[in-house]
Amino acid sequence: MIQLRHISKHYPVGFGKNEILKDVDLTIFEGEFVSIMGPSGSGKSTLLHILGLLEEPSSGDYLFEGELVNKMNEKKRTQLHRGSIGFVFQAYHLIDELTVYENIETPLLYKNIPGAERKSRVADVLDRFNMVAKKDLFPNQLSGGQQQLVGIARAIVAEPRVILADEPTGNLHSDQARVIMQLFKHLNETDKITIIQVTHSEQNAAFGHRVIEIRDGKIQ
Amino acid sequence: MFRNYLKIAWRNLHRSKAYALINITGLSAGMAVAMLIGLWIWDEVSYNKYHQHYDRIVQIMRQATFQGVTGTGQAVPIPLADYLRTHYGSDFKSVVTSSWTLENIIAAGDNKLTSTGIYMEPQAPEMLSLQMLEGSRKTALQDVNTILLSASLARSLFGGQPATGKIVKLNNKTDVRVSGVYADIPHNSSFSDLAFIAPFSQYLATSGDWAKHAVTDWNEYSFQMFAELNPQVDAQKVSGKIQSVIKDNSADESNPMLLLHPMRKWKLYSEFQNGINTGGDIRFVWLFGLIGVFVLLLGCINFMNLSTARAARRAREVGIRKAIGSAKEQLVGQFLSESLLVVAIGFCIALLLTMLFLPWFNNVADKQIALPWGSVSFWLLCAGFMLVTGVLAGSYPAFYLSAFQPVKVLKGTFRAGRFAAMPRKVLVIVQFAVSVILIIGTVIIFQQIQYTKHRAIGYSRDGLITIPMNTPDLFGHYDALQKDLQATGMVENMAESSSPTTQLFSRGGENMKWRGKREEEKILFGNIACTHDFGATIGWQILAGRDFSREYATDSSAMILNASAATVMGLKDPVGEKIQWGKHQYTVIGVVKDLLMESPFATAMPTVFRLNYDWANVITVKIKPGRDNRAALDKIAAVFKKYNPGSPFNYKFNDQEYGKKFMAEERIGKLAGCFAILAILISCLGIFGLASFTAEQRIKEIGVRKVLGATVLSIWALLSGDFLKLVFIAFLLAAPAAYYGMQHWLQQYEYRTPIHWWIFMATGGAALGITLTVVSYQAIKAAVINPVKSLRTE
Repeated sequence: MIQLRHISKHYPVGFGKNEILKDVDLTIFEGEFVSIMGPSGSGKSTLLHILGLLEEPSSGDYLFEGELVNKMNEKKRTQLHRGSIGFVFQAYHLIDELTVYENIETPLLYKNIPGAERKSRVADVLDRFNMVAKKDLFPNQLSGGQQQLVGIARAIVAEPRVILADEPTGNLHSDQARVIMQLFKHLNETDKITIIQVTHSEQNAAFGHRVIEIRDGKIQ
Repeated sequence: MFRNYLKIAWRNLHRSKAYALINITGLSAGMAVAMLIGLWIWDEVSYNKYHQHYDRIVQIMRQATFQGVTGTGQAVPIPLADYLRTHYGSDFKSVVTSSWTLENIIAAGDNKLTSTGIYMEPQAPEMLSLQMLEGSRKTALQDVNTILLSASLARSLFGGQPATGKIVKLNNKTDVRVSGVYADIPHNSSFSDLAFIAPFSQYLATSGDWAKHAVTDWNEYSFQMFAELNPQVDAQKVSGKIQSVIKDNSADESNPMLLLHPMRKWKLYSEFQNGINTGGDIRFVWLFGLIGVFVLLLGCINFMNLSTARAARRAREVGIRKAIGSAKEQLVGQFLSESLLVVAIGFCIALLLTMLFLPWFNNVADKQIALPWGSVSFWLLCAGFMLVTGVLAGSYPAFYLSAFQPVKVLKGTFRAGRFAAMPRKVLVIVQFAVSVILIIGTVIIFQQIQYTKHRAIGYSRDGLITIPMNTPDLFGHYDALQKDLQATGMVENMAESSSPTTQLFSRGGENMKWRGKREEEKILFGNIACTHDFGATIGWQILAGRDFSREYATDSSAMILNASAATVMGLKDPVGEKIQWGKHQYTVIGVVKDLLMESPFATAMPTVFRLNYDWANVITVKIKPGRDNRAALDKIAAVFKKYNPGSPFNYKFNDQEYGKKFMAEERIGKLAGCFAILAILISCLGIFGLASFTAEQRIKEIGVRKVLGATVLSIWALLSGDFLKLVFIAFLLAAPAAYYGMQHWLQQYEYRTPIHWWIFMATGGAALGITLTVVSYQAIKAAVINPVKSLRTE
């Protein structure tokens, strides 16, 4: 499903450059649950961002379902981004000015989904996550775990094929973390969503099928 | 989607109320100014459009050249009308000879009123498309002894009764029959001051012998002429065809040339310089239009600056939205709709402000503008205005904010670069530069007014009143009237003259001959007839020779020159010189200091004074110094009642009449002043917001500095200094621009104030002072915070 070939990423620093990723090759199959692990600064978040089209590699090829992403035009990339990829962040990154309901609805707005369908899909997701009662609350009225649930709900409401999660449990204590990870596992098994997560925790990594170790920008 | 945007925008406003308040106040003030100016411009450009034949009505103007300088005026001779009708009938639908607009006394029984009216040929009501409430346009002015009343005059004379058929007395002389009533002509028409229109034939019949001669005299330039062209006739071409008609029919040596001045140019392009139509009030349309745009821009700049300054707060939202699939255009749309929301709120407040200030504005600008609530185009314009303002204010922040890199923002590494504040600084400089220019401009306008008001006028205005001699009853009792007035103990002296001291009704003398005059020299003089007491009454100052005196019987052929006249005539020692004027020879007996009778901003016209008791238009009375005006006027009125029982006692203080000459300048000054104050207020609001933002942003830095030993004073200097620098730069840019602009503005006055350097210093100092006050509040607030607190918030 996803294939990276000779991906490198570097930033200019002064007159030199800071290499984050060095010649990374990676293949991820449909339906996999992959965990990326590695010490701080090893390049795992950058890798995730490249996978999620938030950053562009300095060199190398990125194929999504066999199509070369770096050759796509802006419009097609946005479409791919909206339709196929969901993001979950460590700091949840909900929009503070919007209610739970509206936060979940936002990706559907960007996909131009008609009102009635939007309503039913958001209602579905709320129902599934047991958050119907909280739909009119604002993010700052929720606990961290609940916020992350909203974050995940927002990621899956547009029915993506891949969820990219950047340390999704990093800000949560272990009980909440387990709930979130079980949810991922469930999504992976029943909904067949491909999941790629970045994590520090062996426990969390154990929920997935495969662990990718990254160190100094290189996959071990 | 749009609803979602608006929701966020609304919640954002709600959450940061101070920010919203600054934005909305600035924008609504700016928009209110723009709306008032827009209404004013609309009124100016739609001037005279009340008249249906607006596009085809012209005034026939005459140009005359003296000493190589061509003047353009409205005075034309009567025979011209018939000539145009017979020779150019295919071009003109109608030609209407007309008197000047005059003050008249009109009486229905005992109900006597002074009203302004005009005498016009019978086609006038058709040409001006008067809306008749009674009578018919076609026939109303056919009979000599008829009159057409405006609705308001008819109401004052007859209450609510129908007026047609009733008899009124004009100027205590003529009984005339009301033949119709027309709806009042609106304020934005050149004919708005007409309370009645009477037939031109009546004017000729009641004006004495000179008028009878004028009917055939091609050089009696004492009338106006209007015309309506036939459809599809080009005014420019006709103008060319008829230009030499007077020259062809008479022996005038001033090279009289005719031209047609179309109605659409009467208001905004009324000025001619050396024969060329150079403009006129249109420059105010541009000037105020520019001011309106700039003041609006100031409000928009506040919006831009505060939005981008708060970018750090919005950055996270931008990042998230991009991460969950927003395209850049959608973010631009979101931020634009936010600015549109703010603008829409601002617009509603601006509309209220406009309603509130419109009466005041009408008063200052001498207008009768009403908000056209019912007009569709008004609302369309408003919508367009909102859209333009929204885009103007919102597009820069929208593109700025939507360009953030989501990864950087979400990782928390987002930091505004060193130059991120640069555009904000530039915009603050623009704001203050505009404000400073407006303030300097206003100060110089008022300086010019003050400077000119203190100009020596050559006579003493104190206690002078002018009474028009518009009824036959006032003639023929000169000595008795004078004696009775002086007997009241209130009056020092009285005189009669052909012009009041504040106006110059008559010009002439281009054919005068004197010793040393070169044959080709053609000089136009102001021409004043007066009585012996004129000089003593107004207190003119004799520079050489003597005043008119009853002791010299020969003074009936004496002439007094003003200083300018003596100079242009090239007479070194004018007293005793002989001057030939037509069949008469005059002797110069004295020279007086120039009297400032016309524009106080211009040099006085060379003027000659002669004795003539028959050619009198006004009585000038000087009240004794120290007497109470009210009591004096009562006594004077009683005397006039005796000699002129049929008329209300009408008088004007020369002082006030003189003051009116400054009205246009004072109007501009007042408006410019208000706009300048608003501009500086809006700009101050902006830096107040920016200062509070900077203080908030640097709170940690301030905390650290304080821990390291910085004093409140040094932190205050640190925060305020940045803003002072900007305002100082703004001043440096604005001062030369204002100097150049005002230098140019002053060029239109012959008598003008020098531009003083202290105006610039004072304005610059004031701008810096205001800035310091506004910024200090925030700076000191930030500086006195206990650093322990501010450092703990991290």
